[in-house]
Amino acid sequence: MTDQRELHINVPVLARVEGEGALTLHIKDQAIEQVDLRIFEPPRLFEKLLEGREYHQVPDMVARICGICPVAYQMCAVHALEQIFGPVRDPWVRAMRRLFYCGEWLQSHSLHIHLLAAPDFLGFNSAPAMAAEYPGEVRRGLRLQALGNDIIRLIGGRSVHPVGACVGGFHHQPDTTAMQELKVRLTAALEDASELVHWCAALDLPDDDQAFCSVALRHPDEYPMNAGRIISSAGLDIDAADYEAHFREHQVAHSTALHSLLDGEPYLVGPLARINLNLDRLPAAVQSLLQETGIRFPSRNMFHSIVARAAEIHYALLEAVRLIDTLPVAAQAAVTVQPRAGTGVGCTEAPRGLLWHRYETDGGGRIVAARIVPPTSQNQLRIEQDIRLSLERFGLQHSEDELRARAEKVIRNYDPCISCATHFLRLKLERDPRPAGQPSPLAASGPVPDHDPAPVVIIGIGSPHGLDAVGWKAVEALGASGFAARFRPGLVRLENCSVPAALPALITATRLLVLIDALPERDAANGWCRIERDDLEVVTGAPSSHTLSIAEAVAVCESVAMVAPRIVCFGITTGPGTAGSADEVAGRIVAGLGDAIRAEIKAWLTE
Amino acid sequence: MKPSIAVHKFSSCDGCQLAFLNLGEDLLTLFEQVDVRHFAEAGPVDASAEVDISFVEGSISTPDEIERIREVRAHSRYLVTIGACATAGGLQALRNLADSGEWMAAIYATPEHIHTLDAVAPVSEHVKVDRELWGCPVNSRQLLAAINSLLAGVVPRDEPDSICLECKRQGHACVMVTRGVPCMGPVTRSGCGALCPGVDRGCYGCYGPCEKPSTEVLAHWFAGLGLTPEQIAQRFLAFTPEAPAFYAAGRSRLTADD
Repeated sequence: MTDQRELHINVPVLARVEGEGALTLHIKDQAIEQVDLRIFEPPRLFEKLLEGREYHQVPDMVARICGICPVAYQMCAVHALEQIFGPVRDPWVRAMRRLFYCGEWLQSHSLHIHLLAAPDFLGFNSAPAMAAEYPGEVRRGLRLQALGNDIIRLIGGRSVHPVGACVGGFHHQPDTTAMQELKVRLTAALEDASELVHWCAALDLPDDDQAFCSVALRHPDEYPMNAGRIISSAGLDIDAADYEAHFREHQVAHSTALHSLLDGEPYLVGPLARINLNLDRLPAAVQSLLQETGIRFPSRNMFHSIVARAAEIHYALLEAVRLIDTLPVAAQAAVTVQPRAGTGVGCTEAPRGLLWHRYETDGGGRIVAARIVPPTSQNQLRIEQDIRLSLERFGLQHSEDELRARAEKVIRNYDPCISCATHFLRLKLERDPRPAGQPSPLAASGPVPDHDPAPVVIIGIGSPHGLDAVGWKAVEALGASGFAARFRPGLVRLENCSVPAALPALITATRLLVLIDALPERDAANGWCRIERDDLEVVTGAPSSHTLSIAEAVAVCESVAMVAPRIVCFGITTGPGTAGSADEVAGRIVAGLGDAIRAEIKAWLTE
Repeated sequence: MKPSIAVHKFSSCDGCQLAFLNLGEDLLTLFEQVDVRHFAEAGPVDASAEVDISFVEGSISTPDEIERIREVRAHSRYLVTIGACATAGGLQALRNLADSGEWMAAIYATPEHIHTLDAVAPVSEHVKVDRELWGCPVNSRQLLAAINSLLAGVVPRDEPDSICLECKRQGHACVMVTRGVPCMGPVTRSGCGALCPGVDRGCYGCYGPCEKPSTEVLAHWFAGLGLTPEQIAQRFLAFTPEAPAFYAAGRSRLTADD
């Protein structure tokens, strides 16, 4: 190491993104030399495992690429396969597919805005934390998310990996009464959605204008979801079938997601790209809502993506209501398809942007080859480009913590779905030394706090009366002697217990459990002994007057704790010859018993 | 002291974590009642925190994931796997049946940069698992029932019955008996609410095998409906390919067909 030191900031996980990734930033001489958004989501090889499968299995299998946007994968797959088998033009199927997609935009966008992105702008680490100060806003978001899930559930049975869609249409027609009831709730939520647009626009969004190319579908008369040509802000206008002639994926060493380029350049897909290219396809109500925010679209500020997402929530509600109102009578839930050999392409607008599928089938409709390009791998290079530009504008003199926070914020603007493309975001920052005297923020961060809730619990059991109470009294005497204070704080806790039902709560997260009980009717009075597990029944076999015997206590603990703690039992022998009260007996044996328990704890700790 | 939980992700689609994130306003109640120490997607990050219950989504498919799952086990009182991937390998475990090196080379130009294990494994192959929640995905009802049981100090109720029982309770007409549609319901574990027969289609087995599944009887029935051995194998080898009963039923037919 000469003039350069390497700092590893262990943000073990980039919070609030879907999936696992890491970021390497190389800063030298106050300039960013390298930005790698590292995606580590283990490859699941979907394209290969689809090979040989029958066409009707494809919608259910590709849904598993992403739990947040399964509808997008299903819709792309059915459109691609129908391109081979014969396009489905049934108006009911078409309308229902759009309604299905509205549900997914609504739930995915609401989840992203409230659970993932908004805490960034308001200084919280999670939505539940944010809810303490913004209860109305968080609850509004969760309601909108639930409404999206309800649309998907109505059509597909469940909101994650729904089971309703098939090649040709749907497996069944949803109940029309339920659909009308849903419409009432969707209409009522429009007010929430327009408030949400204003709320997002009023967040403290950095001013960060950048030149970038937007890519989205464009349809002659609809805001794009399931159909359209692929266009870009740089003048591209192609059929989805020609995608591979213009967009190239390539592998880089630092990522399991393939990177995508349009004619050799990074590009943006997703809500902001869609609005930038399809503003005129939005209904007047959404357009005027956007105008009221004072933000001008098309926008070149990626921080406006949260507003674009909110606007699409409003749009999805309006569109869902319109679709239900104008829903044609269904001739059938699905058109019968005729499997045949061929190649088909499906391109739709997933919540996070353009999703492209290509399948080749044999004569029986089995998959010969598949190719899937998810939105996040398309955005990955744009994210790296954005981090570079955004951090340079923000100022590289900022601390690692500030730079990391800013980089994470930039990444979240893209709502990356790393399962689609990956989950840990480890930031590996390499840069030249700071000015002398300025300590690294790392140096200030102490050890991880010890969260362990009393791994060792000592419980006196039995009734609190008479000589039976000697277990209790021994524990009290241990407490008075400062027994727990000789160990590190939080390691040892002392308890008493007389009823079995109270035991489970006392041994939460316990690893070593010490039980102390009276052993009545003994000859050897005034002593104590360790009771081995195997001897428990024998030693304490006789029915006792206890509310809780040591054998019962052990049985309870072993049955409720699935990760059974180590249990060590001590008996304090009492009998007719025992002199004095339980208090006095406990006082006589506490020193020796304490030493024995200490030895047990030490033995356990050193294992 | 509030009980503590963690949610960890391994190789998966994220769909089972959504059973938490899709709780709606109940999500806020959950965060009030338990101390969520690690749940990256929801915000809290402290992967090595000691917790009462760790929920694990996803299968183990890289050397790094083996290390991580051991850490999770060491810091958790209970470890509960959620979903088909964590419990039975998931869809991605289908690569165990093939030459995954060849697959990798087909997708990645330089597969040497991709570090994976030879076989995708359920969590229980690497560490002790205290409870398995089946489903692709699990639903919120299953999760809340598990949390409530564990926190009350009792073992969560298993739901080993077949879909058929759930289907009958819902009053659906049997798709296989009435329409001859192949249905995995008779050998599949309940818990989903018999969704597929509810939308007029056959169950595709995403909750894995039920208790004592009569896979051979069902396979015989499928053959009677005209399915080839390969088609039958593909039904068993789909969402929970590492579940022994489904693996055996599927694998034997693939071999017979070779």
